[in-house]
Amino acid sequence: MSSTYLEVRGLKAAYGDIQVLHGIDFSVDEGQIAVILGANGAGKTTTLRALCAMVSTEGSVRLGGEELAGQSTADIVRRGVAHVPQGRGTFPDLSVEENLMAGAFVRTDADVRADIEQWYETFPVLGERRTQTAGSLSGGEQQMLAIARALMLRPSLLLLDEPSLGLAPMITRALFEQLTAINEEAGTTMLVVEQNAALALRVANQAYVLEAGEMALSGPADELAADDNVRRAYLGY
Amino acid sequence: MRGLGVVPAGSRQHRRRQIIGWALFALVVVLIPFLIADTYSPTIFGNRYTVGLGNLSQAIGMMVAILGLNIATGYSGQLSLGHSFFVGSGAYLTAVLVNEFHWSYLSTLGVVVPGLFLFGVLFGLPALRIQGLYLGLLTFAVAAVFPSIIRLDEVKDRTGGSNGLQIESDLVAPSWAPLNTVTEWLHAIPGVGSRVPDGLTSRQEEAVYKYFLLVIVALVCFWLVRNILAGRVGRALVAIRDNPLGAAANGVNLAAYKTLSFGISAAVGGVAGTMLAMHSGFVGPDEFGFAMAILLIVGLIVGGAGTLHGAVVGGLAIRFVPEWSSQTQTLPGTDTALEGPYGTAILGALLIIIIFVLPGGAAQGFRRIKARLMPVAPQPPRG
Amino acid sequence: MVVLASVLGVFDISLDKLSNGELWLAQFFRGLSDGATYASVALALVMIYKSTGFINFAQGSLALLGVYLAYIFSVEQGLPVALAVVCAMVASAVVAAFIERVFIRPFPPDHVLPLVIVTLGLLLIIDSAVGIVWGFRTRSLPSMFPSGAPIEWGIAQLTWRTIGNLGTVFTVVGLLYLLLSRTKVGLAFRAVSSNLESARLVGIRVGPTLGFGWALAAAIGTLGGALVVPDLLLEPSIMLRVLIFSLAAAALGGLDSMVGAVIGGLVVGLARNLLVTFLDLSELALATAVAVILVVLLVRPTGLFGSTRVERV
Repeated sequence: MSSTYLEVRGLKAAYGDIQVLHGIDFSVDEGQIAVILGANGAGKTTTLRALCAMVSTEGSVRLGGEELAGQSTADIVRRGVAHVPQGRGTFPDLSVEENLMAGAFVRTDADVRADIEQWYETFPVLGERRTQTAGSLSGGEQQMLAIARALMLRPSLLLLDEPSLGLAPMITRALFEQLTAINEEAGTTMLVVEQNAALALRVANQAYVLEAGEMALSGPADELAADDNVRRAYLGY
Repeated sequence: MRGLGVVPAGSRQHRRRQIIGWALFALVVVLIPFLIADTYSPTIFGNRYTVGLGNLSQAIGMMVAILGLNIATGYSGQLSLGHSFFVGSGAYLTAVLVNEFHWSYLSTLGVVVPGLFLFGVLFGLPALRIQGLYLGLLTFAVAAVFPSIIRLDEVKDRTGGSNGLQIESDLVAPSWAPLNTVTEWLHAIPGVGSRVPDGLTSRQEEAVYKYFLLVIVALVCFWLVRNILAGRVGRALVAIRDNPLGAAANGVNLAAYKTLSFGISAAVGGVAGTMLAMHSGFVGPDEFGFAMAILLIVGLIVGGAGTLHGAVVGGLAIRFVPEWSSQTQTLPGTDTALEGPYGTAILGALLIIIIFVLPGGAAQGFRRIKARLMPVAPQPPRG
Repeated sequence: MVVLASVLGVFDISLDKLSNGELWLAQFFRGLSDGATYASVALALVMIYKSTGFINFAQGSLALLGVYLAYIFSVEQGLPVALAVVCAMVASAVVAAFIERVFIRPFPPDHVLPLVIVTLGLLLIIDSAVGIVWGFRTRSLPSMFPSGAPIEWGIAQLTWRTIGNLGTVFTVVGLLYLLLSRTKVGLAFRAVSSNLESARLVGIRVGPTLGFGWALAAAIGTLGGALVVPDLLLEPSIMLRVLIFSLAAAALGGLDSMVGAVIGGLVVGLARNLLVTFLDLSELALATAVAVILVVLLVRPTGLFGSTRVERV
């Protein structure tokens, strides 16, 4: 068993007076893919946003043993946390290539150019449209661009919020295959929020179920996939 | 602070408190012109400040101007930086009607209100396509252009051009108005009476009479606007401001209501213009320029956008803050005199401070204090 | 022909004037020169609008402050005018960055209305502060460019100042273009204006980036003021008129397009000079600017070069 990479203890988050997360605990092991399931409004998106200090939070978030709580989003990104937000994770007015360069904003090494070319190979459609503005791409292409943009950080932890939203099933499957491949090749730890529970549980190692801002269930993904309650509530059979 | 104890909403005690509140308000409104007919001038830190009836009357005109702005900006959320244009149009319309057709001041309202309403509607039509900041930009430019329209060669003979226009009509208190009698009564009251002169000079009588006329016009405006806003129109406007998409989905005709709000806003602004013309008997182009437009925004925000009594506080603030600032000959501890542009700077600072610490303006502050001192428990629904 | 004559009569137009080619050319040059100054203040407005999505109504005031500083540095301290203007640009940039940090950054960048109101408050404060410190006496700021005209056709003169104004504006646009498209800070700036949340998520420090935008805009506005003021006299209310024309220019160009701001500025400058000369509409010059804004917003709200943004309702 590998070591714990992300460890979250007593995480609370609120939008103004509305408390969304009531102190949740979870962890993700290094190099693993974890998935968070839950109904709409359970706090899944908020959990990811809280990890990046995009909402006001309380509690402890440790990444590779280092405390992230209290740091700004910009500093957390510099620790190697990349976040693909739901829906619009690109810069619509910038070209595809500029989007990828923006993804590498905090990097100072000389390999940025090479990485861009690499993602053009992985997602050939982006390579064909490198000078087009991101806003002119289709939904699926934008989602690929958002993920490629996040990976340009060379993240140690990748947070994905509903990557399949609005994508055709074929494209979704291809996307998850890509993500698995990236996870295996680069060893990138991933935390995924996903509506498509069946697919997510298939690629994930660990799984969590959020209910109304509390962690209701947790365990290895295959065990949760076999759990009757999870099956009825999220897998629909 | 202990306060007066909680009373349930709608109970007898609550109603009694409300009645007492209104009675006190009425008493103050009626008594104040007599108390400051001889300009009240307290001395604070060696500076002599004046509370004059003329300034108060002008502030009442400003209150109505802010009330009008409040309808377009505070209630329906359309950023209008050009309200001075409507106020100025009303003022000039009144001045021209009085001078050239020898109408009385109040009868000009018969033209000013429908005229400015139409004007506002016409103005609101482009505003339908122009949203938010673009509207702010346009209205800002319109405000800046008003003085040069007044100065145009083609209309200079009518409007007086740069020199402004003296209005050839005096407001003399009619003989039936018992202003002097009231003054004598008040003077006889021990204590308070010492502040009241034992008889009004004709100038003072005119000032007191003007004050009451302006108060009545203002009360009618506030009452009408309150009723309009408490009903269907008001609900629609607030819905448009807070959630235009939702309002449209619920069948609110956005275009009609937005245009209407501009019409009402302009009409009330026009009345304010008439009031200001009544107050000073003079209209000048630069009074109604872009400086006034910004001043009205200051009044709106300082008093509290989207509230009626905010307009009262706002009107007082934009009239008296610059006045008192210019009367500060020595700032305590320094020998700086706050003359000239200091007043504007203070208003600007006030605007920013209010946005930072009390975004709801003075009205929000009042509500907080009132909730502390005189808590009212909401009535539980009857089962 | 009769109709034409009567139309001309209404506007008090003389055919002599209209057929005077030199007058046209003279006004054309003057229009270009004015237009260049409007363009540079419009550029400053566009910088702020692009990054923050709101109009900084205090932009003219910041430029006013900058021009007064340029006056102090050059006329009172004896620096060469160009150097004084550069110093004033730096100083106004520092002031703007400070203002952004203290008054603007506390608000969420997407809360537009309070921000606009804060800029109105700043306008009142800065304009009256200038009046308090320097009084209302008019002063004259010398131009950065030599007097005289290298090219003359009768009364039509292409002066060094016109050439200098145009050259300055095109240089500024060129440098801005390079800054925004070729540098990392430019990328950050455009990323913030395109998608605030994603900009945060790639590690861009949004606050300092916007502060940089404010500083840059103030410097450009000061430069614009230093170009325009030598034609007029320096007094505290001077920038208001310039601001209106610049707003018209920015609206014409589309508020978020820098090329648009420059072309808009030139068009407004030309239109103003030709109208004033041939239609004798000097009092209506401002009204013309307003009419330009109105027509543009009605007919083509995104201006000539602006990008379309999806608006809710």
